[in-house]
Parts: sequence; C-alpha cells; structure tokens
Amino acid sequence: MKSTVITTNGLRKVYRGRAAVEQLDLNIGQGEIYGFLGPNGAGKTTTIRMLLGLIQPTSGDIQIFGKELRKHKLQILRRVGSLVESPSYYGHLSAADNLEAIRRILDVPKARIAEVLDIVSLTGEEKRPVKGFSLGMKQRLGIAAALLGSPELLILDEPTNGLDPSGIQEIRSLIKRLPAEYGITVLVSSHLLSEIEQMADTVGIIRQGTMIYQDTIAHLQEQAAGELRLTVSEPEAALKLSSLSGCGGSLQESRIVLPRMSDARVALLVRELVENGHAVYRVEEHRQSLEQFFLQVIEGGIS
Amino acid sequence: MMWRALSADWLKIRGKGLWFLVFLGPLGLTAMQGLNFGLRYDYLKEQYQADLWGGLLSNVAGFVPIALYLGGTLVCSLIANVEHQMSSWKQLLALPVSRTAVYMAKLLLCLLLLVCSCLLLSAGTLALGLLLGFGIQAIPYADILRLGFASYAGALPIIALQLWLSVSSRNQTFPVAAGITLSLLSLFSMYLSEWMPLNWPVLAWEAESPWLFIASGLLLGLLMILPGAVHFARKDVD
Repeated sequence: MKSTVITTNGLRKVYRGRAAVEQLDLNIGQGEIYGFLGPNGAGKTTTIRMLLGLIQPTSGDIQIFGKELRKHKLQILRRVGSLVESPSYYGHLSAADNLEAIRRILDVPKARIAEVLDIVSLTGEEKRPVKGFSLGMKQRLGIAAALLGSPELLILDEPTNGLDPSGIQEIRSLIKRLPAEYGITVLVSSHLLSEIEQMADTVGIIRQGTMIYQDTIAHLQEQAAGELRLTVSEPEAALKLSSLSGCGGSLQESRIVLPRMSDARVALLVRELVENGHAVYRVEEHRQSLEQFFLQVIEGGIS
Repeated sequence: MMWRALSADWLKIRGKGLWFLVFLGPLGLTAMQGLNFGLRYDYLKEQYQADLWGGLLSNVAGFVPIALYLGGTLVCSLIANVEHQMSSWKQLLALPVSRTAVYMAKLLLCLLLLVCSCLLLSAGTLALGLLLGFGIQAIPYADILRLGFASYAGALPIIALQLWLSVSSRNQTFPVAAGITLSLLSLFSMYLSEWMPLNWPVLAWEAESPWLFIASGLLLGLLMILPGAVHFARKDVD
C-alpha cells in the first residue's frame, strides 16, 4: 500500500451562506498523478486554496505528509510547490528575477534557478521581462517557480487553461515526467476530462463542492463501458423474450439495447434467441465515450 | 524570515517608479523653496535676518506633513500593487513564509523608502541653504535632521493605516482616495484638537513640546500595525 500524501476529512468551505465545498474527502497517494476534475465553479480552486493554506476551511481537516496543515503549515508548504489558476508573476522583472524573488524566500541555492529553467525549457529566455512572454511561457515559468524548492508534492490548478494545443502538449508531457524522474506527487486540476485522462493515474470528480467519484482512471474507463446492442430479425418479439429473461432491455431504432452484462449471460441470451427461431444479425458492445460518462456523472446520473 | 521576504521585496520594486517617488518628494520640496528664496531673496533674507537657516527650515517644514501623507499613501499603494497587479499574493503566500513576516516586510520596506526620502530632504535643504549663502558656521544640523524625521514619526499612524488599506483591497482607488482625503484634511484639522493624530506631523515639528507628539506618533503607529497584521494573517486570499 502506497503511503498517502494528502488526506482531507469532511472538508467544508462556506462563502456567504453558500457551501463552495461540502464534505470533501480527498485521498492522494505518494508518487501518483491525481486528476482533480470538475466543471468550472465546482469548488476545485477553493479546495486547492484550502490545501495551500490560502483560505481557511469552515470545518474539516487537512493532512499533508501525515501532518495537520493548520498546525504545521510552514513545514508542509516547504515541501509543496504550487501554481494556482492564472499565472502569478512580476511582469516588469525578467524570468530569472521572478525566480530569484521566490528563491530569496525559499532560501535554496542560486544554481536551482538554472535547473528549473532547464526543466521547463525556458533556458535562453531568462533575461527577458516576463510581460513579453506568451501565456504558455508564463505558465511554464509558474511551474518552474513551483519546482524551485524541490517539492515532494506539486499542486497545479488548471495548468493548461487557455493554452494552445502545443502549449497543452508541452505542459502535459512535463507533468507526466515529474513523478517518474523526480518522485514528485502531483495534484492537477482541470475541467477537461481528456486532459486528466491523458495525465492522471487517479481521478477525483467534484460537482457542486462534493466529491462524486474517486478512483483510478482504469476503473473509470471500465465503468464507462456501455451497453450491448442486438440486431435481430424480429426485435419486438425478441424483446419480449429477453425481457422475460430478466435483462431489462429496451427497443431503440429497431435494435435491442441491453445494459452491460457478463460474457456467460450474453452467450445464454443469444442461445435462447436462436433456439426461439430468431435470426441474430449483430451483437455489439457499444462503449460509451468517457466524455459522455463524465457528463452523466456530472449531471448526477450515476450512483 | 522577515529579512528574506524583505530581500525579495527589494528586488520586486525595481522599475516600479518607487525610487522615482522617493526622490521626487524631497527634491520637489527643496526645488520649491529654491524657487521661493530665489525669487524673493532680498525680501526673505531681510525678514529672517536673525536666523536665516531657521527661516528656510520653517518654510520647508510647512510642506513636509502633506508631502509625507501623500508620499506615504502612494508608496504603500505601489508596494501593495506589485502583488495585486498579477495576483501574486496567492503565489507569495503559498510559499513557506509566515503572513506576519510578509506583512512586516512590506511595512519595513515602505518605512525604509520614506527614511530615504527624509534623509534626502535633509540633504537637499542643507545644500539649498549653503547655495543661498546662509553660512557654514550657523548650520543647525540637528534641526535639519529633525525636519523630516520629526514629522515622519508623527505621520506613522496614518502610514500604517494606509499600508493596511492598500494591502487589503485589490482595487487601489479607495486606499489612494482615502490617503489623499486625509492629506487634504490635515491642512484644516489644525483647528481641531491637538489629539487628532492627523495633526501630529505638524505638531511634532513646531509644538512647544514636540517630543510628546513624536512619541505619540511612534506609539500609535506601532499600535496601528497590529490590526493590519492580524487581519492580513487571517484573511482568505483569492
């Protein structure tokens, strides 16, 4: 069993009477990329701000590296790197000076600046004022700043938001390298499932401030696997039959649609159909796209 | 920890117009008196015959309180704005540094810059007096130093308040408007009680017992840091 890096218990944040985050239990294991997924306004950023001690939870507790955040905030933050929402930078300063301003607070060796610039491939651009950077470069500078203190945990809030496809690709491959090469645990949030699907090992889906799904990506993909579609000679008659068998199918566009079932069950069903004189033209498994499944989850259609 | 934050702040204010402001205030005041004494040299020399240096100092001193208020307001706002501008508070405060240290570093930076201004004012006034030929023997060194710093001590409560306001709100319109309003009010509040902190910069220079107002300014200034720092340490950062 991997040790956990972040655990939250009944985390709750109320803004002006409205709960932005409600009963949130996060569980993030060491060395994994955890995708924190949810539509805009679901409470991702609020949660992340609470994890970084930027805002106070209304109730509930947060443990990072097995320590209470409230009591050991600075100790914990020393081991955490973060990038929250829109990039923060000092536009009038060069990239190197931006990092230097942070380095002075972290008190790490100067050589670290060149190292992190190299990791995010900004070497050669460090002398330019950051206000002239593209959004992608600013975002990479933000990641460089997050990496400056050699963190064990990296918290990235919407790191690919607003980037063009090549920028997204760059950030994504950068994030995927981190656990493997540096042993960093990554929490990355996004409102795009495809993003998370391509990066994360584990996914937590949040809707209206509540965690509605938390498991591995592989398990999510499995669950998203959809339905069985049968094309037969006389669908209506066949439906009666299979309904009688207790599968609970329905008729859609003269095809029989059945929920997912085991292989043995499918075999049984087909044999029954054939034995009853139906011609079976097609047996298809229709896999719902993960995107559709995600929407279904978000809209509250999944238990 | 505060020194590390201060050293970072020192870097961040580069090219933000703060140093320009620090020089502009005292040099502007000196230049203004240069003009005043230059144009009416004979008249003023006759009027201040008994104490030429004293005359110069009292002319400069008339503008020091409002310059301190306006300068303090702008310095606080510019310092806070360095972080507000690109919403850097969230990045800064997610670093392993206590909020109190961050706040105190900002305050200290602001105070240091104003110290520079006060020193420049003394230097500028000294240079002006010599230029006007008021004589080397009679230079009142202590008064020249006191010129900026006495009023500075008296202005501390308002400066601490301004930093709190500027740091608290992202939009700098209100803090700056409040600062300017207070500066203008300070011109008229002399008719009110001596115990109005707004008057202390003036009284710290010219009252019969200036030390009382200097001490009050320092004390209330220190007290004003407290609510600002506590509020900053507790507030949610967006």
